[in-house]
Amino acid sequence: MHSFLKKDILILLRDRSELLLLLLMPFILIAILGFALRGLFSGDPEPLQISVAIVQQDNEKAGIEKFLSDQRDQGFSEEVIAELESVAFKVSPYTLLNQVFKDERLREMITIIDMNLEEAELALSSEEIAAILTFPTEFTFLSLKNMLLNDGGGSELQVTVNDYGSLQAKVFQSIIQEFVRALNFETAMTQALSEEGIVIEEWDLRDIELGGIETVTSKDPITSFEYYTFAIAVMFVLYVASTLASKAYVEKQQQVFNRILLSGKHPISYLSGKIISAIIIAFCQLLILFTSSSLLFRPFQDVDVMFWAGILLISAILSIGVGGLTAVLTALTVRFDNETFSSVFSGGIVTIFAFTGGSFIPVANMAEIVSVIGDWTPNGAALSAYLQWKQGFTFDSILPFMGRIIGLSIVLIASSVWIFPRRRSF
Amino acid sequence: MLETEELQKVFKGKVAVDGINLYMDRGESIGLLGPNGAGKSTTISMISSLLKPTSGDVRLNGKSVVKNPETIRSVLGVVPQEIALYEELTAYENMKFFGRVYGLKGKSLERRIQEVLEIVGLQERQKDLVKTYSGGMQRRINMAAAMLHEPEILIMDEPTVGIDPQSRNYILDTVRHLNEESGLTVLYTSHYMEEVERLCDRVYIMDHGRIIASGTKDELKSILSGEETIFIDLNRSYPELLSDLKKHEGILQATETEKGLKLIVPKGSRHLSSIFQAAERYQAQILNVNVQIPTLEDVFLHLTGRKLRD
Repeated sequence: MHSFLKKDILILLRDRSELLLLLLMPFILIAILGFALRGLFSGDPEPLQISVAIVQQDNEKAGIEKFLSDQRDQGFSEEVIAELESVAFKVSPYTLLNQVFKDERLREMITIIDMNLEEAELALSSEEIAAILTFPTEFTFLSLKNMLLNDGGGSELQVTVNDYGSLQAKVFQSIIQEFVRALNFETAMTQALSEEGIVIEEWDLRDIELGGIETVTSKDPITSFEYYTFAIAVMFVLYVASTLASKAYVEKQQQVFNRILLSGKHPISYLSGKIISAIIIAFCQLLILFTSSSLLFRPFQDVDVMFWAGILLISAILSIGVGGLTAVLTALTVRFDNETFSSVFSGGIVTIFAFTGGSFIPVANMAEIVSVIGDWTPNGAALSAYLQWKQGFTFDSILPFMGRIIGLSIVLIASSVWIFPRRRSF
Repeated sequence: MLETEELQKVFKGKVAVDGINLYMDRGESIGLLGPNGAGKSTTISMISSLLKPTSGDVRLNGKSVVKNPETIRSVLGVVPQEIALYEELTAYENMKFFGRVYGLKGKSLERRIQEVLEIVGLQERQKDLVKTYSGGMQRRINMAAAMLHEPEILIMDEPTVGIDPQSRNYILDTVRHLNEESGLTVLYTSHYMEEVERLCDRVYIMDHGRIIASGTKDELKSILSGEETIFIDLNRSYPELLSDLKKHEGILQATETEKGLKLIVPKGSRHLSSIFQAAERYQAQILNVNVQIPTLEDVFLHLTGRKLRD
């Protein structure tokens, strides 16, 4: 077996045109598609920039003082007033919102500009800013009354946007809505706990869910380079099968196959040699493509050893699938002494497999039937497994895809043994 | 040692080999002579167990090869017409691969590789890719690969087709040496009469899938023992003269050659004077006259009415 493997690898390494097809072509396609289709994938880093004008019609300090003065008039003791003053400065909505905007994640995305209403409306109409956030008169006073004493209906923040459809406007609205929702929740919680005699010393809204950042699934998004590194690799690994089958045809034509038979080797050992060679060559091809793509395009960042272990396992199983395809193509080629099988496979079937398997465009964008068919092709099943593994799905999730490839391989290899000539050439 | 019994092969209703009976004793050098398409390659494919006969059998030491192909494969070396090697590998890599396929390994494999490379005179070029070899060198390395496992029988299917005279001589000398010195049994197929004459003890002549004559070279030539071949060189072609001589009662066969005419006449007959008279009648200028003893080529011509290379 080792002799067959060594021979096939040496022949392949000395065949420049095949090497170009198996290694250089996919690499070029990964580069072209990865760059050209950036932005189509949710994981591609497209920095979102939102400029927002803040129109401050309220005076926070005056609002807090008015709130305290109001409580004095209500007859609260100085001790309570001092306590309320301490809390009011900490939980003033304006202060809290400023804390949110100072958050590292938002600071890179949102630029806050203080403007008066006139300037802000002008900037909004000229699309210099995406939204205006207005703190209305008495906002602090009314908010504190509601939040700390459950007195009155509170106040309302006003968000003005020019274009409801714009991504920036939607994202900003989401942030404010989330802030208000969290603030209301914390207020309600505090009031409920106060009634039980529990006092919350500090509010911290910095960890609130900001919302508005789109993801395709609940798992990690995929970038175009990640997608096409997998998609192109699973397509081009299929060419290993046609390459080895076409070499078998040459071996048959040049009587090398007969010479091997005359050695007394069982014909199936020749077929087994082809299968093992295909598996090893396909596995090496995948590793070379993933490694070189990782070094040049850096599609897989912040991944751990488990990620690579999973990639190796999926690659090994896909390589077995390629071994199965090689077996059938070789058996047909040798049995019927005809190169058509490998030509039709490389010239047509690989393209169909690649299309249905999602190597050109994600099957999610196509009819469901295409996706269903694609998941039953070795390349399509492997691509789904690779993508799900990259997105952080569990091993159990990718197991069905790997099971399909192994099942398919068993069927293909069994068929090839049945087709392959047993005792002598025909 | 090896014999065939009414060996027949039919391809899609067409009989390619029709009831061949031949035998080979240990250490013999047997020639299978016949024109292209005579059925020589089909016959040796069946003998070497690569092709199943439609009927008949091949026996090695009495055991059926058709039923048990393995019986012959271990003792047989086949040199096919094609260069059955990997052109992208070096001669050494090819030898190592086929040696391992034959079950050789380690030092014995290395020793045997160097031995066969020495036999075919390619030790110096063993690290070169086979595709960089000349046609003659490729034929020699093709032969080396068939001898790696030290076979008892070597079957060679037209091993000198399309190569230069030096390489051809080298191969013929090597085969002769292996047969005479090492006792290797050789079955040599060719449509080159002079190769078979030079190498083989006994000859089978094939045509249209049948053996039309067999025996030692002398036995075959004795078919023509009662005849002589006369070559007459002329200054140009004289179709009328040829036509006249064909009608001549004492001339068995008259054919045109590149230089003039070839006539087969009964041995000892006195026809030269009547041939000269005919030439005189057609004013043909005779440049040379040569009376020859018969060759296997003549035997084939006599038996089939065709030349070997027609």
